[in-house]
Amino acid sequence: MRAGAELAISEINEDPCSLAKLVPVVIDPGGITASYVTAAQKLLCEKKITHIFGCYTSSSRKEVLPFFEKHDGLLWYPSHYEGFETSENIVYTGAAPNQHILPLSKHLLEHHGNRGWFVGSNYVWAWENNRILRERLMEVGGVVVGERYFPVGETDMMALAQQIVSDRPDFVFTTLIGKSGYAFFRALREAANAAGIDQPNDMPVASCSLSEAELPAIGSAASGHLSSSVYFSTINSPENNQFVSEWNRRFGDLGHACADAEATYNAVHLLSQAVTKAGSEGFTAVRDAVKSAQFNAPQGLVTVNPDNLHCAMRSRIGRSKSDGTFEILHSEAQPVQPDPYLVWSNSAKQPELRGNHLRVVR
Amino acid sequence: MKRSIIQNFRGLHGLVVHPDDANRHALVSTLGKLGLTVTAKCAADPSELRNCDLMFIDADEGMEAMPEAQGHMTALESVPCIALIGNEAPSRLARVVRRGCASHILKPIRNSGVYAAVLLAVNGHELRQENAREIEVLRKRLSGRRVVTQAVVAIMKLHGLDQDAAYELLRADAMNRRLPIDQIARERMFAGSP
Repeated sequence: MRAGAELAISEINEDPCSLAKLVPVVIDPGGITASYVTAAQKLLCEKKITHIFGCYTSSSRKEVLPFFEKHDGLLWYPSHYEGFETSENIVYTGAAPNQHILPLSKHLLEHHGNRGWFVGSNYVWAWENNRILRERLMEVGGVVVGERYFPVGETDMMALAQQIVSDRPDFVFTTLIGKSGYAFFRALREAANAAGIDQPNDMPVASCSLSEAELPAIGSAASGHLSSSVYFSTINSPENNQFVSEWNRRFGDLGHACADAEATYNAVHLLSQAVTKAGSEGFTAVRDAVKSAQFNAPQGLVTVNPDNLHCAMRSRIGRSKSDGTFEILHSEAQPVQPDPYLVWSNSAKQPELRGNHLRVVR
Repeated sequence: MKRSIIQNFRGLHGLVVHPDDANRHALVSTLGKLGLTVTAKCAADPSELRNCDLMFIDADEGMEAMPEAQGHMTALESVPCIALIGNEAPSRLARVVRRGCASHILKPIRNSGVYAAVLLAVNGHELRQENAREIEVLRKRLSGRRVVTQAVVAIMKLHGLDQDAAYELLRADAMNRRLPIDQIARERMFAGSP
């Protein structure tokens, strides 16, 4: 995320047409939830900073939000997340659930089948994505063959892998994060090979978070996994080709460009645009100016939805390759409007609160 | 079977009764994001209470001036009600309790908390309605017990049967005709020949 921001900051500062000049102040809370509050307080109160980029996890975002409300700060949140939130103090440039898990469930049902095995890290990102996918499977008569959660950081995955191989689901859906995920990809591939199963084709692992940044950590089992994302480094467009070559020149040692870097890059550009339009860097002025703002991002046109401050973006499904990038299997033809509460994307029957006194007796 | 909860509120009509201020603005805007259509008023009349699926009422001011229609409605006719609470004084909160509010939102109202309050109110209300229907059924059955006992005693006398056989006669009749047993008992008693 930081590298993506730095790339955008230098572009903006070097651009003679841009009125905004950005001076970054960096704090690294090191992934420790409590440290995010201290960091946010320091940036908002002591340094009097209005625009802050970051927070990968939902728990860190929820922790800092009250301080942004209190001090009129704007959090630019560049990560995909599980939705069910909107705030006047947050601009969300990552994908909402209707832009990641719904397209993935459609892809899995169309190409792989309706028997899924769910494995995840034990927190809200996993629970909520699994709930959404489970409901989709139920609607079409599918089955959740198995479901298991592990503490964040758990890496003993062999027993689980063997269980999954013996259950032979049509696909595996993972919401494991960090090294738990890497260990799982390796263990499943190993167990599948031992059983003579072509795992990538017959029992693919799908996720809504796997990115280029993580593939090297998986090692030899990194290829053949499905990921739902609004950005892959292999998108072929002039904007992305330029972004990727700049990225490789400056941050190539970090690996390939990925969705989180791109979303942060987009967020910084949207800030610069909004400040230029508003003629001010103040909270209310920028927040209002960013509504309906558009940016020709590496992933394509990104538009900030004026109602919920999430972005309209194109969903994509990619399959990881051994060279550490993704082959793009499917791209939505048009940007998908963000629907953080899944109000409009839900095909389930709507509630009738009045006059439904009859029930089916089973 | 565990019933799934109601989690999407698209198309429901919400009535917000609250002075026109930042709280109301934040509430109405968040409800819009949740897909509800909203009417916002400073005061409401009874007809409006009947034309909404869900209502949000100010617990601080004017709750006593609200039409009492809701109070006269049975639990089955009422709609879920969410209290908008600024002042936590017991006298204010007593009104929230008496009105049977199914959930609440604390002021100052922000986006966070609105979805949870709507979800809890709608699902809690469903449960209450289900309980109310169940109570209604049980109450009817209970009031029928006396006439069933009368009919059993009458059948025992008339046919010289014991208590179990007399009851069985009634029950078989009710089963055959697919009617509640108290209705069969009532018919026999009024027909004069049990």
